[in-house]
Amino acid sequence: MPERNIEFGKYGARGIKGYEAVARQLDALAGYIATPITARRGLQARLHYLTRTPHARAAARAAGLTVTDRTLRAWAAGTRTPSRKNLAAIERAYRTVRRENVARYLAARLNRDGRGTRVEIHPLNQSQVSRPRQRPVEFRALNVRRWDRIVAAWAAGDDQELDAAWVDLVVDLGSQWGQYEYVTNVGFAA
Amino acid sequence: MNEFQDIDALLASTSADRTPLPTAAERRQLRDELGLSRAQVARALGVSPSTLAGWEAGRDPGGEIREKYAYFLRQAQEKLRSRTTPAANTGDPLLSSPVPAAAAVDDQTELPEAQPCVLCGQPAGHQVAGYPQHLDPAECGTTAAVPKPVRPQKSALREELRRPAPAGQQRRAGRGVKVVPVGRRVQAASDTPDLIGAAVAAVLAEHAGDVEAATAALVKRAIPDAMALLDHTRKGGRYDVIAHPWLPDILRKQTARGADQIWEARPKWTRPQLPAGRHEVTALDINGAYLSALKTHLPIGQLEHSTGNQHDRRRAGVHLITPPAWDHDAVLPNPVGNRDEPGPLWVTEPTLRLMLRLSGPKYALCDPPEIHESWTSGATESLLEKFRTALKDARDRAITDNDEVTLEYVKAMYSKFVSTLGESNYNRELYRTDWMHLIRSQAFANLWWKAHRAYDEGLMVVRAMGTDELHVTGDWRAVFPEGRGVTEVKVKDVYTVGTNQHPAPEPPDSPS
Repeated sequence: MPERNIEFGKYGARGIKGYEAVARQLDALAGYIATPITARRGLQARLHYLTRTPHARAAARAAGLTVTDRTLRAWAAGTRTPSRKNLAAIERAYRTVRRENVARYLAARLNRDGRGTRVEIHPLNQSQVSRPRQRPVEFRALNVRRWDRIVAAWAAGDDQELDAAWVDLVVDLGSQWGQYEYVTNVGFAA
Repeated sequence: MNEFQDIDALLASTSADRTPLPTAAERRQLRDELGLSRAQVARALGVSPSTLAGWEAGRDPGGEIREKYAYFLRQAQEKLRSRTTPAANTGDPLLSSPVPAAAAVDDQTELPEAQPCVLCGQPAGHQVAGYPQHLDPAECGTTAAVPKPVRPQKSALREELRRPAPAGQQRRAGRGVKVVPVGRRVQAASDTPDLIGAAVAAVLAEHAGDVEAATAALVKRAIPDAMALLDHTRKGGRYDVIAHPWLPDILRKQTARGADQIWEARPKWTRPQLPAGRHEVTALDINGAYLSALKTHLPIGQLEHSTGNQHDRRRAGVHLITPPAWDHDAVLPNPVGNRDEPGPLWVTEPTLRLMLRLSGPKYALCDPPEIHESWTSGATESLLEKFRTALKDARDRAITDNDEVTLEYVKAMYSKFVSTLGESNYNRELYRTDWMHLIRSQAFANLWWKAHRAYDEGLMVVRAMGTDELHVTGDWRAVFPEGRGVTEVKVKDVYTVGTNQHPAPEPPDSPS
């Protein structure tokens, strides 16, 4: 059993990398603004979040929203509308700042004073694999006690680090952990 | 002259010495013990089932039909008397589980008419894999009818003789200590921690007996407590509760505030027309509808897709169906609810099972629904069973002790559990939108069966709406027991519709 799959999906298995599923779940728990940025309401909400306090402005600037205060005011007032490129920049900055702001509290909730959180790992989808090549891969669950590294990597948007942090945890599943490199879903609550 | 003779004959037939009948309760008991349905007896007597229901509820038949009914009851008594003698030595352990459980679950159907059971020869209302038989071993009566393997029966008989008393008497004689398995040992059921009672006691002590403050505090912590209770009741269970499965798109909300594509078949039905005259309508409330609905076939794992018009009874989930036409809207609600939009729709397991049952030979009220696609998983009815039983026991105890705090707490626990099962931010430990829909639909299906029962027993169903509201006219106390238990109903409202002067009825839901 290789620990890292080499040609995933060659025989029709479908799934996503474990760390991607974790990032998705953390994103879902972080709770972004629901209205899309293309709607006026969504844009206003994001701009408000990024410019409400001097601290937020500094964080937005650090996250790559390098426009002048005058432009920001014009966007907020609606006299000018951001270009498509700038909309993407606002969205990116918003997500980064939001993750950074949420990370501390999310990690604390997931650590639960050292009791940790139960994580469900739903195995990859083999329905398109021919019968002789299908393998029994079961649903697994494990308790993760230390979340700081995972949440920090997620907040920083560092996929490699998040992958490494996640694999370090998945190794606890035992010698078959390689079967859980790709999954359909990783579920946990915060 | 001929007309006068007829009148004379008629008067002669109504003589003073009417045939005495057993009491109403006995009439029903006799029929039940013979395993006959009301419809069967009514057909034999040439009356409608609702008329028979009236007789069993206390009305008295008259004239010729009274003679026939008296004859039926006499014969039933005779038959039962003759049956009690051989029935004394039943309880054969081999007979008591004649079919492996899996097979029994698999293809049992209800029979339109009772046929002799292949095991005991008595009329049975169900068939398993084509063989009519009793589903409940207790009903499967005598040992006489069918030849059976000789040796096992002998040993069983010997064992029977060695036993001091028949099983039924033993059960009556001594109440043993109820035990539950805990790890490798057994423990008396009374020693297991009572989470609900302990929480109530702790909060009452904290608020120094202030009932209102304690109730508010308990309701506030109902969701985490319900989850803790669920975890506790799943200890040692066969299946894990899978809390965060991947869900297909049909179970996901389209927009943040929108709904997903599942149709829960909530009934919202009003009888279109009432007969002329004045009617007293009683609005009945089904107690703990969602609590009872926790007993339903729930999918255990991740839902898997399948196509084709077949239904697997061992699986549960959601199905894309084309519902059959419903021709009984004048008297009974449509089992699919009041849906205006035509075409296929996604329904849940309880709704589908309700429609499949109604299309079966016993009811034959509609055509079977056509299933196009399904998202299902292996199912069990017992996943939340211990959880439900724990809540129900606490509720019953609270009712007998008149303990309003526990009652409110239990109510908050189960209702909030059901409402936050899905993608709720108030309960992130369980993301089972499919279960939420299934449990709600089960409550609606249960209400539909209550409406059907009322109709079957001769009441007039006026409205069926929401989760737990049923409006009926007639003597409903003979059909539904009144009370606060989950099998009982309580009266929400009583109002009259229509007037004696004007035959045209008012709008059906205007209380006067």
